Amino acid sequence: MPLQMYQEQKSPPKPKIKNIIGIAAGKGGVGKSTITVNLALTLKQLGYSVGVLDTDIYGPSIRKMLPEDRMPTQKGELIAPALCQGIKMISMAYFRKENEAAVVRAPIANGLIKQFLNNVEWGNLDFLLIDFPPGTGDIQLTISQQAHLTCALMVTTPQDVAVMDVRKAMNMFNQVKIPVIGVVENMSYFLQQSNQEKVYIFGKGGGERLARESEIPFLGAIPLDPKICASGDQGKSMYSDENHPAVAPFKELAKNFIGHLDLLSSQHDHLQAFELVWKEVSAS
Amino acid sequence: MNANAFLIKTIAQKDNHIFTIEWADGIAHDYRLSSVQKQCPCAGCNDEITGKKLLDEKSIKEDVRAVRIVNVGRYALRIQFTLGCSNGIYGFDMLRKMVGVHHA
Repeated sequence: MPLQMYQEQKSPPKPKIKNIIGIAAGKGGVGKSTITVNLALTLKQLGYSVGVLDTDIYGPSIRKMLPEDRMPTQKGELIAPALCQGIKMISMAYFRKENEAAVVRAPIANGLIKQFLNNVEWGNLDFLLIDFPPGTGDIQLTISQQAHLTCALMVTTPQDVAVMDVRKAMNMFNQVKIPVIGVVENMSYFLQQSNQEKVYIFGKGGGERLARESEIPFLGAIPLDPKICASGDQGKSMYSDENHPAVAPFKELAKNFIGHLDLLSSQHDHLQAFELVWKEVSAS
Repeated sequence: MNANAFLIKTIAQKDNHIFTIEWADGIAHDYRLSSVQKQCPCAGCNDEITGKKLLDEKSIKEDVRAVRIVNVGRYALRIQFTLGCSNGIYGFDMLRKMVGVHHA
């Protein structure tokens, strides 16, 4: 039975979340959700407390990839997130039947996103990963303005057509002054079992070129592998198979990501969010 | 990491008409609310096509106050004024230009 949505309520920013990361591409089909889920699982493996916010109102897929052990619950207007393999998660998928489309216009979708940002009780988290929907429109702008993002992680695939759209999404983050921490290239290569040779099905080096031209770090390359696809479809963690081909690349990605995040954190001493309520000051 | 942006370290009310921003690079500046409102960047106060200012600066009261000031993401702030237009999103870049020092 889908959960009922409440009206948006104002609540203060969430200082208990240390890092809020937007995972974006500007386009669909590059594997944002795959990267989000597996990066979340990897960070969890490394001992961090992690939450995932699936902001794709129209095509939420993360629930299938990361099935819940405990459903989200509601206390008044507040939502307690689902628990999925130790990861807290909220998604539109909990509020719709599986095959039911969210046929809503942008203002309604924006309202839903605002509820996810303001009404979910995440508790203490080291990382909240926000899986962005494709595009650079109204919803993406709402998240950029209201989610107090620490930085954005760009996902691309190697081909120029994908890189072109990712570049636009990076431009959006530049406009709203959200630092882009780096690029990860998904479906980077296929490793042939027979001779362990890498085959670059979608071309080679698109992600690295994008990182180089944008002067941001290239954080890792994730292979194209049927086992990654199967893990997502079956909702099984890659860490349940010690020979899973994605484990090493994701650990490398997480290591690079955390390293650059530490660097970014050390660079800034500034207010993340503020509200200055004006008061009457009497003349002395 | 292209975080080449102006960031606010502190923001505080100075008196009934002025607030002070201390920027992350150490520069501090007092902003008079009426002066800020005269620069309102909203579409109602500026012609979006020509860029011509539609706002009559004389209509801004020098003693205008604020109700509250909140951040918009990490790039701007929004001021709810007691009088006049409150629709503007004041980019940090724009506020820094009012200091007269522009980031290279």
